[in-house]
Amino acid sequence: MSAQADTAAARRSGRRRGARIGSGLASYAGFVPAIVLLGLCFLVPLGIIVCYSFWETIDYEVVHHWTFSNYTYFFSVSAYVSTMWATLWVAVVATARYVPQRLRVPLLVLVIVPFWTSYLLRVYSWLTILGDQGVLNRFLQWAGITNHPLGVFLYDRPAVILVLVYLYFPFGALTLYSSIDRFDWNQLRAAMDLGASPAQAIFRILVPQIKPGIITAIIFVFIPILGEYLTPQIVGGTGGVMIGNLIVNFFQEAEYTRGAAVSLLIAGFIVVLLLIFRKSLSAKEAYGA
Amino acid sequence: MTTVPTLAEQASPPTAAGIELRSVVKRYGTQTALRGLDLEIRDGEFFCLLGPSGCGKTTTLNLIGGFVGPTEGEIWIRGRRIDTLPPHKRPVNTVFQSYALFPHMTVFENVRFGLKMDHVPRDESVGRVRESLRLVGLEEFGERMPSQLSGGQQQRVAVARALVKRPAVLLLDEPLGALDLKLRQRLQIELTQIHRDVGTTFVYVTHDQEEAMSMADRIAVMNDGRIEHLGSPEEVYRRPASRFVADFIGDSNFFDATVTGDVAELTDGSRVGCAGGRSGPSTLMVRPEAITLATGPGSIAGRVLQTSFLGSYVRVAVETPAAEAPVVAALRELANVPAVGDEVSLSWSPGDGIVLEPPG
Repeated sequence: MSAQADTAAARRSGRRRGARIGSGLASYAGFVPAIVLLGLCFLVPLGIIVCYSFWETIDYEVVHHWTFSNYTYFFSVSAYVSTMWATLWVAVVATARYVPQRLRVPLLVLVIVPFWTSYLLRVYSWLTILGDQGVLNRFLQWAGITNHPLGVFLYDRPAVILVLVYLYFPFGALTLYSSIDRFDWNQLRAAMDLGASPAQAIFRILVPQIKPGIITAIIFVFIPILGEYLTPQIVGGTGGVMIGNLIVNFFQEAEYTRGAAVSLLIAGFIVVLLLIFRKSLSAKEAYGA
Repeated sequence: MTTVPTLAEQASPPTAAGIELRSVVKRYGTQTALRGLDLEIRDGEFFCLLGPSGCGKTTTLNLIGGFVGPTEGEIWIRGRRIDTLPPHKRPVNTVFQSYALFPHMTVFENVRFGLKMDHVPRDESVGRVRESLRLVGLEEFGERMPSQLSGGQQQRVAVARALVKRPAVLLLDEPLGALDLKLRQRLQIELTQIHRDVGTTFVYVTHDQEEAMSMADRIAVMNDGRIEHLGSPEEVYRRPASRFVADFIGDSNFFDATVTGDVAELTDGSRVGCAGGRSGPSTLMVRPEAITLATGPGSIAGRVLQTSFLGSYVRVAVETPAAEAPVVAALRELANVPAVGDEVSLSWSPGDGIVLEPPG
């Protein structure tokens, strides 16, 4: 009799376990649209790009022939490599322009207002400032500093940097603002009182505490700038080419496999960057900031 | 044979002043925060700057700490002029009201920060940090984060962090302001103990007269950028230099009076004894506990308005033609408390009637 009871109990618990697995699967059912969407729109194209980057283009035809030549080609042509370094350099300089400062509400509004205008419009508006017939050149001619329009303002790397700083400033400023706003400035006084110089106080006390904000700002600013295509296209000319333009050029010239390789290089770089940042971001949880 | 120093010896000025402010003026734009302050703080003393907000006490502290510079005048510490030095080069450390602990460092690292800045070798600094934490009773808390400590513990870390540098002067800017009453009283006792243990000069800013009275060796009562009275808690309480000081410290009763020698004539025509000191129209100040009430008519007649039992004493408010506001008496003996509406007479011993300048 007790054996019967045991098996009954076992059957019951077995049913319960089965039910649990069933409900476990059911609870994942909600993810199906997301998984399908991600698979179709991200994983499949990514797979195609990966394949392309290891294939060859012969006479404008993609040949399914496995090779590393696209990657070696990229690094063998110095112009391309220097474009990559230039891209990094532009991104770093544009990122570094954010001076952490206590911005007040009116300033914040000024920072946010440009968001109400289209991105493209904001880039084009710089043409009317920096161009031959632009505000800057007209002012210089009016002031008698020059008698013909200067072309140095536009169509080169400085113009790209200027416009990118302008475009991405709000992202950096807003993320830094939120972490700096919480900072108790008496800490800097305390640090100096304890013998730290102003620079030591900032680097040992302020910077470690707003590090999450700094990293977030870098993620929001540096990474989108790496992929910038439109700004260098509009204001960069031949001297201001960034890697995004290079990729476009490859694809437009039907060099699909080379374009795919460069795309993956830059994507890989960003992934590595994010992994590094993730590690230092999790460190902040140690002191519950 | 050891001799107990006499009062005269205790009062004699020390050879080298711990801190000296020489005619210090501080202006912020058109606002004058300090109007020519002369102040000598003795080495090793627990000194309180007491006054209402805006009186210049925090400005004085910031001038010593170096966070603001004087408009005029000089500041000296132990015979060395310091008002030209930046904060981190002065032999002074500060305990801030907001604690200003570094939240991303452990308690131990917080306390060690100042020693790191001075490049003290690791072995020595570790020992000094331990010693400093022991002094404030937080030896076991070195590995905690500041956010894991209570407010009182955080303030003690701030004290340890400042003292580990062995400063000539420790500045405390209302360090107990954010704590509740019970904790404040306990930390007052602890701070005086720490002061005795380390022997460093403490300069303590507060607007709480009880806090100043309970801890300080000497108090400077400040008002409107000036020191109104400088003296021991007892002096400041018993013989306040001005009506402001009398009003700010403890409870007091004021009478308009005309003084001749040691007799004061009040507005109702009654004549009472007083400590003298000045003659002519004056303000006569008497502390509530100095007043005795007798039943029946006397020199100063009054009628009891209210009696309140306050634990250790009974407060009796008496309406009298001799004073504008009701006179308050504090009675220790519960047996002789009059009832509301009783006719009483007020009196005090002549030494308790302090003669002050009249207002205006």
